[in-house]
Amino acid sequence: MKILLVEDNEELADNVVRYLDQVGILCETAITHYEAEDKLLSYTYDCVLLDLMLPDGDGLDLLNWIKSKANSPNVLIISAKNSLDDKIKGLDQGADDYLAKPFHLSELLARLKAIYRRSKLEGSDELKLGEISVQFNTFQAFVNGNLLDLTKKEYDLLIFLITNKNRVLGKQAIAQHLWGDYTDDLANFDFVYQHMKNLRKKICEAGGRDYLKTVYGIGYKFEENPS
Amino acid sequence: MKLINIITLVYLSLTLAGLLIGGFFIYLKIDSEIEFEMGRELDRQVDSVADQIRRGSPYQGLVDDRLEIELLPLNKAEEPLYLRDTLAFHDPNDKQVKQLKASKSFKIDGQHYRISYFNLLLEKDDITETVVFTMVVVFLLQLAFIGFFLRRISNRVFRPFKNSLNQIQKFNFGSNEPFEFSESNIMEFDQLNEFLMRMSTKLLKDYRQIKEFSENISHEIQTPTSVVRGKLEHLMNEDISEKQAELIHSAYQNNERIQRIVRSLSLLAKLENNEFETPISINLTDLLKKNLDMTKELIHVSGLDLEQDIQEEVYSVIHPFIAEVMIQNLISNAVKHNVEEGWIRVQLNSSFLLVENSGVPLKKNPEELLQRFKKESNKTESIGLGLAIVNQICKTYQLSFTYTSEGAIHSARISLS
Repeated sequence: MKILLVEDNEELADNVVRYLDQVGILCETAITHYEAEDKLLSYTYDCVLLDLMLPDGDGLDLLNWIKSKANSPNVLIISAKNSLDDKIKGLDQGADDYLAKPFHLSELLARLKAIYRRSKLEGSDELKLGEISVQFNTFQAFVNGNLLDLTKKEYDLLIFLITNKNRVLGKQAIAQHLWGDYTDDLANFDFVYQHMKNLRKKICEAGGRDYLKTVYGIGYKFEENPS
Repeated sequence: MKLINIITLVYLSLTLAGLLIGGFFIYLKIDSEIEFEMGRELDRQVDSVADQIRRGSPYQGLVDDRLEIELLPLNKAEEPLYLRDTLAFHDPNDKQVKQLKASKSFKIDGQHYRISYFNLLLEKDDITETVVFTMVVVFLLQLAFIGFFLRRISNRVFRPFKNSLNQIQKFNFGSNEPFEFSESNIMEFDQLNEFLMRMSTKLLKDYRQIKEFSENISHEIQTPTSVVRGKLEHLMNEDISEKQAELIHSAYQNNERIQRIVRSLSLLAKLENNEFETPISINLTDLLKKNLDMTKELIHVSGLDLEQDIQEEVYSVIHPFIAEVMIQNLISNAVKHNVEEGWIRVQLNSSFLLVENSGVPLKKNPEELLQRFKKESNKTESIGLGLAIVNQICKTYQLSFTYTSEGAIHSARISLS
């Protein structure tokens, strides 16, 4: 997967590029509206990560321009302008998803993969890790071919973990992915632990290995090759 | 009191005072004028009697109850006209009345006559009555005149002023329109209007700047905290010791706190600025159910019981995004400040939305918790803005919000009617 990140803050761009690089996604950056157009004219990308606040123009204009081209790439808007209007406008003008800044890098990756699956693979993709497989078209997960009885949240959690495998996922990132703003103010993340415990139990009972590792109280890691 | 009424009253009082003083002078003038005119009249009468005598009429035949003729010694000089008030008997009235007497003497055919003529003097009471009557009529006319013309004219003169007042009352930061007044051709009003126009333009400019500032600050803080979060997430994946993990975790959590505070404050600012206008009527039932569905599992894994009593088809005029924020804040507040094995009860009907939960009895006055950054516990994760946001939302949409605590039961209630 090849991606163009249009973001004027280089530090932020660096974070994203590094994260995506670690999971094997090639990510190029453009700092300005002009540079982005330049790159989009010269190369093809699977997806554009678009910041709406650009130093030389409104990101929505760039979105229009991208969508006016034939075979236009998918667009995921990332914006600190956390307003409903921007979100609606962006999605109306053909953006595939909207992610408000600040976002967790793991969340960005999950959204990117979801967009990729929807558009390029028409949702009929399968996600595999060891003996676990997830069927996206039927919303089912299997361990060694045995169907796992998962709740909606556990299913989401599993996909999130596999997508971000071998990475430490903070409790906040997990909570936010599953519950959005509800978890904003919560004092403890015991419920994340509860979900994790249930999921681990279900995988192990179905004969899967124990992929989940707790990382010092920061969060969790889904290890591809657990020791 | 209305301006026009004050003007009318002042005008009427002045008119009344003017009429009283004027009446007094008119009385004096009438009195002296009557005496003067009567004196001249009597003088003519006396002269004509003298003429008759000259023409040979016997003077005894001329005498009646108003005419008195005496003979004076010839050697006395002729007397000029002499007027005086006197009391005389008046037959028709059958009493002594005040009369004016004019006397003059003439020497005719070797005789010296003193001819005196009386006339009834108009009584003071009558004059007073006349003057008062006249004044009252004048005053009533004035009253009618003021009531009709003056008020009309004043209304017209003050119309630009009233227009200005109306515009000031309708002034609204949201619409972002400075005052526009038409020329009134009245210098003072035009000065006032010009000042108001300048002031409103300045106000709107300042307001825009503050708004921009809060927008900018939210953006400007969110970008670096985003960077920090990313770096920390990268750091988490390095080969770190437990001690380092603790430090990273603590830095991470505090960074999250900054983000939440900034986001909540910018939402509060937007609410205060009425940026969520043109609300439409939305189905609260659907929204609440959707949100409860989403949080059911969260409530469950937090070890809490959820009770629902939700009436169908409850509508309220509120911005959908804000309604969602309000419900989210109420539910997460109820989850957050709960106890182990606790419960949450959500009730919705056409007159109110009630979210109750078990919790620790409050030490503070519950109303205080509606203020910003006021919180009961020192739970570091809580930023103390959740209820303040709900409170601000209710203020913006003119709903009444009460937060009470009876022992271990906390209730947040929003009246919808």
